[in-house]
Amino acid sequence: MRVFRVSFGERGVRRDVASEIAFHIEMRTRELVASGMSLERARAEAIAVFGDPALIEAAVRSERRRVVRRRDWRDRINSIGQDIKYAVRTLHRAPGFTAAVLVTLALGIGVNTAIFSMVNGVLLRRLPYAHGDRLVTLEHPVRSLAINDIGFSPTEAADLRASLSSLDGLAEYHSMSFDLLGHGEPRRVQTGVVSADFFDLIGVRPLLGRTFIRGEDHDGAPPVLVLSYRFWMTALGGDSAIVGQTFTMNDRQHLVIGVLPPLPAYPDRNDVWMPVSSCPFRSRPRVKSDRAARMVAIIGRVAQGRGPTDAQREAAALETRWHTAYPDAYSPAIKDAAVKVTPLRASMTQSAAPAFLVLLAVAGLVLLVACINVAHLTLARHLGRQRELAIRTALGAGRRRLLRQLLTESVLLSLAGGAIGLVGAAGVVGALARYTARFTPRAEEIVLDWRVAAFTFAIAAIAGVAFGVIPVFAQGRDVVSRLRDGGATTSGNARVRLRGLLVIGEVALAFVILIGAGLMIRSFARLVTTSPGYDLQNVVTARVDLNFTKYSKAEPIRRFTDDVIERLSSNGSVKAVAIATEFPASSSNAQNLSTFVVRGREVADSSRLPKAEISIVSQGYFGALGVPIVGGRAFGPADRDTAVPVAMISLAAARKYFAGGDAVGRQISLDGHQWATVIGVAGDVRQFGPASDVPEQIYLPLTLATTRDLRVLVRSGAGAAATSTLIRQIVHAVDPNQPVTDVVTLEDARRDAIASPRLTTALLTAFAILALVIAAAGLGGVIAYSVGQRTQEFGIRMALGAERQAILALVVRQGVGLAAIGVLLGALVARSTAHSLTGLLYGVQPTDAITYLGVAAVFIVVALIACVVPARRATAIDPAATIRAS
Amino acid sequence: MGGSDLFVGTLDVLILKAVSQGRMHGYAIGRWIRQTTKDALNVQEGALYPALHRLERKGLLEEDWGVSETGREAKYYKITAAGRRRLRAEAARWKEYADAVTLALAAGEA
Repeated sequence: MRVFRVSFGERGVRRDVASEIAFHIEMRTRELVASGMSLERARAEAIAVFGDPALIEAAVRSERRRVVRRRDWRDRINSIGQDIKYAVRTLHRAPGFTAAVLVTLALGIGVNTAIFSMVNGVLLRRLPYAHGDRLVTLEHPVRSLAINDIGFSPTEAADLRASLSSLDGLAEYHSMSFDLLGHGEPRRVQTGVVSADFFDLIGVRPLLGRTFIRGEDHDGAPPVLVLSYRFWMTALGGDSAIVGQTFTMNDRQHLVIGVLPPLPAYPDRNDVWMPVSSCPFRSRPRVKSDRAARMVAIIGRVAQGRGPTDAQREAAALETRWHTAYPDAYSPAIKDAAVKVTPLRASMTQSAAPAFLVLLAVAGLVLLVACINVAHLTLARHLGRQRELAIRTALGAGRRRLLRQLLTESVLLSLAGGAIGLVGAAGVVGALARYTARFTPRAEEIVLDWRVAAFTFAIAAIAGVAFGVIPVFAQGRDVVSRLRDGGATTSGNARVRLRGLLVIGEVALAFVILIGAGLMIRSFARLVTTSPGYDLQNVVTARVDLNFTKYSKAEPIRRFTDDVIERLSSNGSVKAVAIATEFPASSSNAQNLSTFVVRGREVADSSRLPKAEISIVSQGYFGALGVPIVGGRAFGPADRDTAVPVAMISLAAARKYFAGGDAVGRQISLDGHQWATVIGVAGDVRQFGPASDVPEQIYLPLTLATTRDLRVLVRSGAGAAATSTLIRQIVHAVDPNQPVTDVVTLEDARRDAIASPRLTTALLTAFAILALVIAAAGLGGVIAYSVGQRTQEFGIRMALGAERQAILALVVRQGVGLAAIGVLLGALVARSTAHSLTGLLYGVQPTDAITYLGVAAVFIVVALIACVVPARRATAIDPAATIRAS
Repeated sequence: MGGSDLFVGTLDVLILKAVSQGRMHGYAIGRWIRQTTKDALNVQEGALYPALHRLERKGLLEEDWGVSETGREAKYYKITAAGRRRLRAEAARWKEYADAVTLALAAGEA
């Protein structure tokens, strides 16, 4: 006979060891007694030949403990293995259930993985700079002018460097575009111009060669260049012998000293980098000495133990001293200029963060909907498994054991769903990264790394436990015993009620998601349909940034622009041509707000002067962009040589500053010395992208300006590609060495400007559809189940003369009723949470009634469809058959 | 362990040999060793038990509780497949070693 015996814990170990040794001594004593010894002597002898029992026991116990520990582990692993094997077998036998759950979970988890990879890459990962956490940007906003940053002059930068003790380093930066000659065709390269300590400050080591060293930014230092990784790869084919070669820029030889590793396109997408001493603008004596020549940005590194606020406080004190010491450089217009210190990470991600966080939250809601739906399916399946569970109970499986089995199944499913979701997300992450590159420099860091994988499996495991446990506990405290009792029973109604609650929750959550998507869609539609104030079809723009040395005076610039406009206009397909300093569809237009004086209305306090955006445009500008002239006339050929300067203003400016009178004929001045006559009023244009307000604008004629960074705008019937080629050809015909860059149609530029809301809207819409489909499936499932339960009842009703229509109405009313409760609940939740979308919405309130009503209507229609299918089955019941069956 | 002039590892081999004939409790294993070696190996009986548990931990023996011939619950040991393999290997090694030593000693006498 065998006795099954399990020893748990230390007590078991002691007991087993003691009993084994006692048995030995007892047997030995017996043997000695049998050979004729007295019991007392025999016992003493037995112990003597055994050795010290206490010592032996201690030795055996320590061995024993190790044996027990090992066995416990083995048992645990074995039983988990058994559970998994069993789970796989049962799931394999229910392929429909398994497939439905896997698809739902893979979608629910996959969207979270995809969005988390964006959040991780852009918001969570450390900046790819060694000192990323301590880097800050310094900005110089002027609140009264609504200017975010007027920049710093090199003199101011030097002051800040010398006096901010809370920063242990400070580098200046600006970006220019120059011609690069010497390797193949001439190229216009975007050039980051920095102080020599820039790369050491942010903590970047070069891939090849070296970065700038101390003194390389001093006057007279030999010109050197560091190449960006992207430029080195795309323009130079990754030539590893590039270090040590030279390029010609600005008529000087520049030695390539290094190549950078791949980095975010920050602060700009620069091709090459040079020290400040190599930049012809920055080295001009006037720029170096004029405190008001504000042209650089500043990046600083906070000293250990100090924070951005310390730096801000010190900078504010310094700024006050500047204003008193150098009144000439701090005109009253900028008297409230104040240095603002922002952590670099925040300034790199601020345009992406709000949208990303909303997307992550909504993806979480989608997963919640998916989990509720899976809880549903699981619940239905448990009811179908009562017999099996009862049998296992009869075979001795306890409550804990059964729960563990059910949990094993659900966690197994959720992990498998997570794995599928991860694979799916891997397929879309590349596209997401490319798309987000339009609005954050960190897009290239969006990848599926170990953190994304860990996140995926963590939420999968949590989801598995949640949808595994909820249906069990939601049914009442002692579900297992209820399951054990088995049978088709009394509690059918309770279950229907529980499933009804789950469906209401699902619908409510889906409703909230749909409201979010609906608001974004309405906002996006506004964005797209709001008139920008000009006609952006069939217009191609190109940037022509004239070479500084060649076009240093007004006359050659004017010859160039006249020539280009004339040659383009004479082409048959071209309808209109203009040259301007900016074009309105671009979201990256820098603000160029300036105060001005109206003759006859001079005020002493310059902070109360009117303000307007200054744009410099050629005479064909308004015609080419289709901007209407609402008063006076547009610039014409007669204005170019006139001794009296002219200007135009926008309608908004006319309304605001010349209300009740005609602006045309009035004189305005930017500086109070040189006056221009307003000759016309142009229609309003959304200069800063589609979501921006209409600014008050002053237009000045191109012929009076000496701006070199120009945009050519061509309206043509020939198509974008042909027009682009034409612009290049004609610019090259005028000046063969003049690069043409950033060739883009206005429509494309506008599309880029709305890339972020477009992505957010598209993703939210996808989430909403997903949630709606899942919720509809859940609703349909509940109705189908309830119809199945009530077959007999319906049969009897029909036998008693109920119309089929009435039965149909009964079932549909039940389903739509559930959906309606869900919708109401969802509306309440949405109303109290939708304000978190405010920052993303344009022209739509988060409580927009049309959206709420529209989404509610969608839900009721979907609920009707989801109910009608199972309800029709109820009406197909043969009353006689169902009654007989009972 | 008490007064052992046993070669290291010899006790393990003897235990495995004893149990290879069928399941036994600790006392019976000790008795078998005493009798078959004619008490030539002067082992303190208690030394047997740490060895038994060590062999169990190594997976060479496994435990099996049962009722003894005296009607008491007792812990029995069985040899595992791994235990048999080890016994065969150790026996072969022992024989090789003994042969070599015997040969060497005989050579001196000749």
